[in-house]
Amino acid sequence: MTTSRQVLLLVGSARRPRSTSEALGSYLLERLAEKGFGTETLLLHRALKSGEKREALLEATDRADVLVVAFPLYVDSLPSLVIRALELIADHREGGDQSRPQRLLAIVNCGFPEAQHNDTAIAICRRFAREAGFEWIGGLSLGGGGAISGRPLAEAGGMARNPIQSLELTAAAIAEGGALPEEAVEAMARSIIPSWAYRWMGWFGWRQQARKHGVQRQL
Amino acid sequence: MRVTILDGTRGGRKAEADAREVLISELEGQGWEVTTYPLREMEIGHCVGCFGCWVKTPGECVIVGDAASDLAPAVVQSDVVVYLTPVTFGGYSSELKKALDRLICLLAPDFMVIDGETHHKTRYERYPRLLGVGLLDSADPESERIFQTLIARNAINMHSPVHVAGVLHSEQGTAGMRAEVQQLLNEVGGTQ
Ligand SMILES: Cc1cc2nc3c(=O)[nH]c(=O)nc-3n(C[C@H](O)[C@H](O)[C@H](O)COP(=O)(O)O)c2cc1C
Repeated sequence: MTTSRQVLLLVGSARRPRSTSEALGSYLLERLAEKGFGTETLLLHRALKSGEKREALLEATDRADVLVVAFPLYVDSLPSLVIRALELIADHREGGDQSRPQRLLAIVNCGFPEAQHNDTAIAICRRFAREAGFEWIGGLSLGGGGAISGRPLAEAGGMARNPIQSLELTAAAIAEGGALPEEAVEAMARSIIPSWAYRWMGWFGWRQQARKHGVQRQL
Repeated sequence: MRVTILDGTRGGRKAEADAREVLISELEGQGWEVTTYPLREMEIGHCVGCFGCWVKTPGECVIVGDAASDLAPAVVQSDVVVYLTPVTFGGYSSELKKALDRLICLLAPDFMVIDGETHHKTRYERYPRLLGVGLLDSADPESERIFQTLIARNAINMHSPVHVAGVLHSEQGTAGMRAEVQQLLNEVGGTQ
């Protein structure tokens, strides 16, 4: 569907059956669809698989008025798949006509409960925007992504309250053509669970999963 | 001293090949045992984020049979690991990153607190020093700052006892790059 306002979501997590990146990105796209945006979602682990798919990814990027990149923090930075996609997009746009304004925002979620782990990844996305000729409208940063663990936000209960508030504000700002308000950035970064409780949940959760495979003593 | 170079260059650029040559010759000149992994030539699948390397086969990735299997033991048994990469939007190239994403098996899943932040506990007694060598055509303070920060953040997560990051500029020419590399090796402990 081509409308005057098209938003493209690139999901940078290959986690199955579902990822927190997709849960966050989809929630935003649903709100934007309600506001009249045409929406399209590409999962990067599929979209990079063949030359034909990569071509389709670049075409979808060219069509988008707003590009949303949602990914998990991997090793303090972007997952390799996301970097690969950004390299391709930047190469494709080099020397091209960037006179049509296209906006970019990033949604990063990390495993540690403190959202500030995502700061470097957000700085990299902002820098990509500059190099590839996008208008940077901001980055949203969620800590303790494991507490959402890929559930659709509407089903994630109280844990999703702050992220939902942030994404509602973000959708409104995008529809109005502005940058992300500070309030949206703060709401996403506000902890969804106390760090000590998250660490305890992790301790318990890892053992529970390891027990299924009989390796709890080797953790 | 054992050094593992994770070569994340994208290929096809003379300045990158020159930088790699300079790096290897300076390391070997100090009598270090150098192993280089040219990542772009290696079949390495992307991490699927399953955490199987912690809860299913602790310490090893569940993806078996691709070239990443050799990397984890090589890295953890080194004295120094070098991340060689074109500085890409301030960070690493996808070639370097496809390897790094497959190395979280070197850590344990449990959490610990370092300077008020959550990080993972160690799986091994010792971890290598980390040297980040970024490549750019010319000086670029913003992206170099991001690169320095990224190396410092990785060093915390990877429990590296020492970390050093520097960016070589192809406009420096080979002699300039060599002087810069010598300085970096001194900082990371090359003279010890
Ligand atoms: C290879 C790998 C590296 C990771 N590195 C970090 C990290 O540096 N810091 C962090 O807080 N979480 C890290 N995580 C945890 C993920 O960011 C976290 O589990 C996230 O919620 C996954 O989101 P997703 O469901 O969208 O994939 C890492 C996970 C994997 C698989």
